[in-house]
Amino acid sequence: MNATGQVTDNAVMARVASGEVAKMAVLFERHHRALYRYFISMNRNRELSEDLVQDVFFRMLRYRASYDANQSFTAWMYQIARNANVDQAQKRKAEVVGIDEFDDRRAEPASAAPGPEEIAAKGQNIALLKRALERLPDDKREILVLSRFNDLKYEEIAAMLGCETGTVKVRVFRAMRALERVYFALQKEKSA
Amino acid sequence: MTSPMSCDDAKGLFAEYWSGSLGEREEIAFEAHIAQCEACRRDADQLGALWRNLELIPAEEPGPGVRARFYDSLAAFRQGMESAPKRSLRDRLMALWPAQPAWQMAISFALLVIGVGAGYELRPGAAKIAPDGQESSQIAQLRGEIGNMRQMVALSLLQQQSAGERLRGVSYAYQVPASDTQMLSALLATVNTDPNVNVRLAAVDALRAFGSSPVMRTAVIQSIRKQDQPMVQIELIDLLVDLHETDARPELEKIAADGQINEAVREHAKVAMEKLR
Ligand SMILES: [Zn+2]
Repeated sequence: MNATGQVTDNAVMARVASGEVAKMAVLFERHHRALYRYFISMNRNRELSEDLVQDVFFRMLRYRASYDANQSFTAWMYQIARNANVDQAQKRKAEVVGIDEFDDRRAEPASAAPGPEEIAAKGQNIALLKRALERLPDDKREILVLSRFNDLKYEEIAAMLGCETGTVKVRVFRAMRALERVYFALQKEKSA
Repeated sequence: MTSPMSCDDAKGLFAEYWSGSLGEREEIAFEAHIAQCEACRRDADQLGALWRNLELIPAEEPGPGVRARFYDSLAAFRQGMESAPKRSLRDRLMALWPAQPAWQMAISFALLVIGVGAGYELRPGAAKIAPDGQESSQIAQLRGEIGNMRQMVALSLLQQQSAGERLRGVSYAYQVPASDTQMLSALLATVNTDPNVNVRLAAVDALRAFGSSPVMRTAVIQSIRKQDQPMVQIELIDLLVDLHETDARPELEKIAADGQINEAVREHAKVAMEKLR
């Protein structure tokens, strides 16, 4: 059990690995939204992202025996998610999307729905920030999404990417700098 | 006391500074650095504001269908585990009785005829067991009719719009004699072109019944690199291993060396090569 009284993900997955596959439902309820957010941030395609969420849980069921209970479940799951996304990206590489078309797709209702906090100037800034994030190169966007949206610990991101924790922290810093550059460029574009 | 922090050292601490997760000593050292380093102070403030704003980007939520699909496939997976490993998919497919009355009648009729043609087993490969010459011409004719009926049902279902109907089509393919080349080519087409990955996986499994066909083996070998789903690729490789298809080795070797192909698939190809030695 962890601090909040929940059975930890690692313990649940260990039971799935030992044959109690129905327990996968617990992990699905805990993680499918965050996984979806990861995928949609990476590929901007709702249908594909929903398919990939299914794919991740299917792969975890299928390869459950390969789960090592001493390692972070989250890192393992996102490693699988990352592979699934890369497989898809390879498949779609043929249909390279032009910048204009790219922008059109951003305008889909999913991303346009304004939350209560998105009002007036503040709202515009957030929308601009969202666009800036979408324009970042995949690796920079990925590390920000994982650390900021999906609340992965830096150790977990390091395990997932196969690098040192210190490297992850520096890469987060660099990604933030890149984000700032794109953000200001977009702001200039807009006011021009 | 440690020596004063350099800008390079500071780079690794920003992320935790922004999220407030620095240890006490690190935080003191970091703050001491930004107090006397303007560039880092600027980054800490400006980038920190962006960092906080990132949290205000509304989360995009998956559609409601995601949950239903997960629980469906989990149930199917559990059902599959409870049956014997090799037959699981087939049993599961058999349970998908056609929804349309017309198909139900056709199948019922086919089953009735099977009952009349006593001794004939509803098993893939059963046709191979009895040498053809030993059958009476009457039974042979009857078998032909049953085969046609099943073939008709299966082939029509494979053409359906919905993935569920096509899955049913694959399930009937198990009941078609292994010598049926039309059924075989329909299954191979499904493996290579069906847009739904579950239908493709089911079709790969159904191909096992055609194990003696060299056409099938060659087609399977060629299909692996055409697939875009690693899961299907792995199933195809497993099929070749189960069939002891040593001719697959050159292709497996290419797959193992092809950097464009998914790493797990390449690993799988390597293991398969060992097994086919
Ligand atoms: Zn500095």
